Amino acid sequence: MLDLLTTLDAWLIAPLTDYAFMRRALVGGLALSLAAPPLGVFLMLRGMSLVGDAMAHAVLPGVALGFVLAGFSLPAMSLGGLVAGLLVAGLAGSVSRMTGHREDSAMASFYLISLALGVMLVSLRGSSVDLTHVLFGSILAIDDTALWLIASVASATLLVMALIFRVLVVECLDPLFLRGQGIRGGLVHGVFLGLMVLNLTAGFQTLGTLMAVGLMMLPATTARFWSQRLEGLIGLSILIAMVSSTGGLLVSYHLGLPSGPCIILVAGIAYLASALCGRHGSLLARVRRRATPLETDEKTCTPS
Amino acid sequence: MSRLSLEALTLAQGGRTVLENVNGTFEDGAITALVGANGAGKSTLIQAIMGLLSPLSGHVHCSMPKERRAWLPQQLALDLTFPMSVEELMLTGRWPTHGTFKRYGPDDYRHMHGVMQRLGLSGLAHRPLGELSGGQRQRALLGRTLMQEAELLLLDEPFANVDTHTVEILCDSLRDVANAGATVIVVLHDMEQLARLADCVLLLAGGHGQWVEPATLLERHHAPARRHAHPQAPFISLNLPDVPPCSTY
Repeated sequence: MLDLLTTLDAWLIAPLTDYAFMRRALVGGLALSLAAPPLGVFLMLRGMSLVGDAMAHAVLPGVALGFVLAGFSLPAMSLGGLVAGLLVAGLAGSVSRMTGHREDSAMASFYLISLALGVMLVSLRGSSVDLTHVLFGSILAIDDTALWLIASVASATLLVMALIFRVLVVECLDPLFLRGQGIRGGLVHGVFLGLMVLNLTAGFQTLGTLMAVGLMMLPATTARFWSQRLEGLIGLSILIAMVSSTGGLLVSYHLGLPSGPCIILVAGIAYLASALCGRHGSLLARVRRRATPLETDEKTCTPS
Repeated sequence: MSRLSLEALTLAQGGRTVLENVNGTFEDGAITALVGANGAGKSTLIQAIMGLLSPLSGHVHCSMPKERRAWLPQQLALDLTFPMSVEELMLTGRWPTHGTFKRYGPDDYRHMHGVMQRLGLSGLAHRPLGELSGGQRQRALLGRTLMQEAELLLLDEPFANVDTHTVEILCDSLRDVANAGATVIVVLHDMEQLARLADCVLLLAGGHGQWVEPATLLERHHAPARRHAHPQAPFISLNLPDVPPCSTY
């Protein structure tokens, strides 16, 4: 029994008590896990699951520009990323409204331009090691500034989401209804995209620009196999993200692997397991599915 | 008494003039049927009345504020995969009074249960939207519209693809709303429904609007309907240039 406890301590607790960078990484990961998954749930429900990925690429030239101008400075790189992300989202939105083309085609065009610019900028100034860092993040780089940034972004995201929650739900469910009420859905959509860019920028230090999307989307898509209610989806996705962050960090510590991919892979394993044996729509659920008997109240709805 | 009228209204959609010089008054407490072929401008007119489309010329005079107008569009943008129950959908109809922040109170729930009972939805309160039949969905959507407690209801083909039982429930509910003083405008294609529901008819054809009495339209229509030997589906023929105008206009 004591052996088991010692092993558990060595695996789960000791890395955190022994190393400050692990504690920082954990706090950062948990804060991101609180804010990003609810955004992911709404992205998924709006059929925009891949938009997060596009925006992560879009953030890149801003980060690179910050890096080129100010060296490895977190505030400069984050600010650059934020500006680039918002610019791409805004441009894509305007082009789609002006031309009537679908927003995803405009967004695809802009993020590709943005990505090419970013890679160009990084390769002009830095080495390939720097590029890897920007793309995939590094847990060792999380300092107090980074933690403050992540915590502020997470708090702001949760606050704004609480404020726009109902209008966001109604806009997702039935944009025409909202239009009929004289509410411009575009504004809500813009605020939502802004929050997404903010979270991707906050996450790039821990996870890298590309991996930050993983913590947003994978918990959301995993939760879909377990809940059919919005509250359930949001709560579960946060829980899954928190477990993945913690689990991924510990795995990366013990096996000497990069932290970003580890965290996302743990979330990925949760997704695959849920796709196989989740409660709703999984392989197992399909095999086991039996029709439920007619409910008595159904009778009131059929013609007599 | 009327809170909604059209004055020399000309509407264009995508650079094409759809309706020209449409005039008329919609009576309070009456159900007006909008009748016309596909592309005649029914949905365009509805959008203009909702204030979503500015007229090329002329005016929509509407003394009812925007939040007192309810619109049930024909082309639904409703996402049926969204994780939401019938009850939650209906509560979103409280938007005009509650907006983003106000909590739903006991009064809202009481009102909702009343509407649900009237529409035969009581047993389906917690059912997800994706599991509803076409008729149940249409009743839930009308439920949301009724939750708005609007003074003006605009319904674009609310009876398309729904069962007769649902049609009956919807007709009765619309009549109740009209009796309570609301102005109701319904886009209709089916003659039986028109005979049953409409107090007045605005016929749209060839870019013009013409007010006719329902009885006159029905009379004109019955002969060709019998000739076609499709008594179950007597659709309105759309070239009626010699129909005498509705007496009230």
